[in-house]
Amino acid sequence: MSPVDRAAHLNRWRHRSLTEKAALALGMMLLAIALPPGPGAPMVAAIMTAAALAGARVAPKVWLACALAPLGFLAVGAISLAVQLDSHGLSLAPGGLAAAARLVLRSFAALTCLLFLALTTPAADLIAGLRRLGLPAEIAELALLIYRFLFLLGDTAMAMDAAQAARLGHAGAKRRLRALGLLIANLLPRALDRARRLETGLAARGWDGELRVLSHRAPVSLPAMGLIGLTLFATAAAGIRFS
Amino acid sequence: MTLLEAQALTYAYPGGVPALSGLDLRVERGRRLAILGPNGAGKTTLLLHLNGTLRPSSGRVLLDGAAAGYSREKLSHWRRRVGLVLQDSDDQLFAASVAEDVSFGPLNLGLSDEEARARVEETLAALAIADLADRPTHMLSFGQKKRAALAGAAAMRPEILLLDEPTAGLDQRGATLLLDVLKQLQNGGTTLVFTTHDADLAWAFADDVALFGQGRVIVQGAAGDILVDAARMNEAGLTVPFLAQIGLKLRRCGALGAQAPLPRDEASALALFPGAAVVGPASSKPQGGPDFEALTSEPGS
Repeated sequence: MSPVDRAAHLNRWRHRSLTEKAALALGMMLLAIALPPGPGAPMVAAIMTAAALAGARVAPKVWLACALAPLGFLAVGAISLAVQLDSHGLSLAPGGLAAAARLVLRSFAALTCLLFLALTTPAADLIAGLRRLGLPAEIAELALLIYRFLFLLGDTAMAMDAAQAARLGHAGAKRRLRALGLLIANLLPRALDRARRLETGLAARGWDGELRVLSHRAPVSLPAMGLIGLTLFATAAAGIRFS
Repeated sequence: MTLLEAQALTYAYPGGVPALSGLDLRVERGRRLAILGPNGAGKTTLLLHLNGTLRPSSGRVLLDGAAAGYSREKLSHWRRRVGLVLQDSDDQLFAASVAEDVSFGPLNLGLSDEEARARVEETLAALAIADLADRPTHMLSFGQKKRAALAGAAAMRPEILLLDEPTAGLDQRGATLLLDVLKQLQNGGTTLVFTTHDADLAWAFADDVALFGQGRVIVQGAAGDILVDAARMNEAGLTVPFLAQIGLKLRRCGALGAQAPLPRDEASALALFPGAAVVGPASSKPQGGPDFEALTSEPGS
């Protein structure tokens, strides 16, 4: 199981209402995009990082590991804004540094919002939330099943990979490529087989085409929503006042 | 009383590989029936016929003496009464959490949310996995998955529960736990039908045994009669359960009366040996007891 999934299931705010977490994360993301990046973006980033690390107690290591890849993309994007290449060679673009800084600040702030949501809320909760917002049931069910079986597919692929390696299937680039091809070719019939057995199991429990389950929904806490509203308002006010 | 009956079932897999050829089976109310046969004999295929998943090319399945139908409505009625637990729990657990998964069957029965919630809580408590209710299904151990999958079927309160190799892959403690849970379900009135390749498990747990081989039931009857029949067991590619062998040997040398029951569990088998119940130093040779030297050789040889 992935560290993201583990964090999402085991953090302190796992059982807080999705509405609260989504309101905070999406509200802050809106502010990060709308406010002048002057003080707005760093404020959003600070609040959302604190919410994830201190509020939900997500392990800083996991948070950092998840932030690294998007930060890498961000760095590349920023460099292409700050630097220009013309007949005189490589030079700083006029106003490029400022543009790059704005971009980095805004994007990083938005990233902290997304990280907060991803690391405090399991995918299944997010999909259930989208379903309540009007996502068609078929798509929601499909997404849930894919999420559930992704882990099994990963386990199977890893076991097959280990079995190939144990029989020296990875010695040399050519053999490695061949082994990978075999692995992928073998995963498909297995996945189809599992789908068939899943259908048998579901049918045995009276499946009629719709996957209805009782989901546990945390009640929305009014004080928490009030606090979130207040935080958003204060951030917006400060962001405009000090820009 | 016969709840479920298979008559002359014949079935071949697509491609023509025969799986069942003229199979008869009776499931009696309130009993534990083991369908015992070697790997690949078609035991799973048989189970899938018993809840209407597969349809035989000839022969029929009777529910309470009436031929079961394969229309949508009749299948739904059938599956309310006959539950199925697959061998690989991962084939069965689909929902995000254990409680959600277990609620699937009860909701399909048409229960209200409150009733279904109560049913889920009750079932999880009965199977001693109430603490796993909110756990995502992909974060469970193998044994926990087995019990969660069983809960998913048991929550529908079927009259008959079909279990495909229920203890396969479980460690001893996990297997004991699962069998205890199954006993509880049986005490609650559920009839159990399970497939296994393990004659020792059938000996320890089944009331009745249907010996399965060559696509049909070779013989069906009380476990105590079928499993000690070495010729028939060999015909099905199996051997007499170890504890039964010990009991038979003890009978032959006189340590166990001819009418006394054969030991069904390890403790009662061990209790038949001299010194088993003796506390403190035992004498080197039992006085006036059975002649245990005879154990090392066949009588009359």
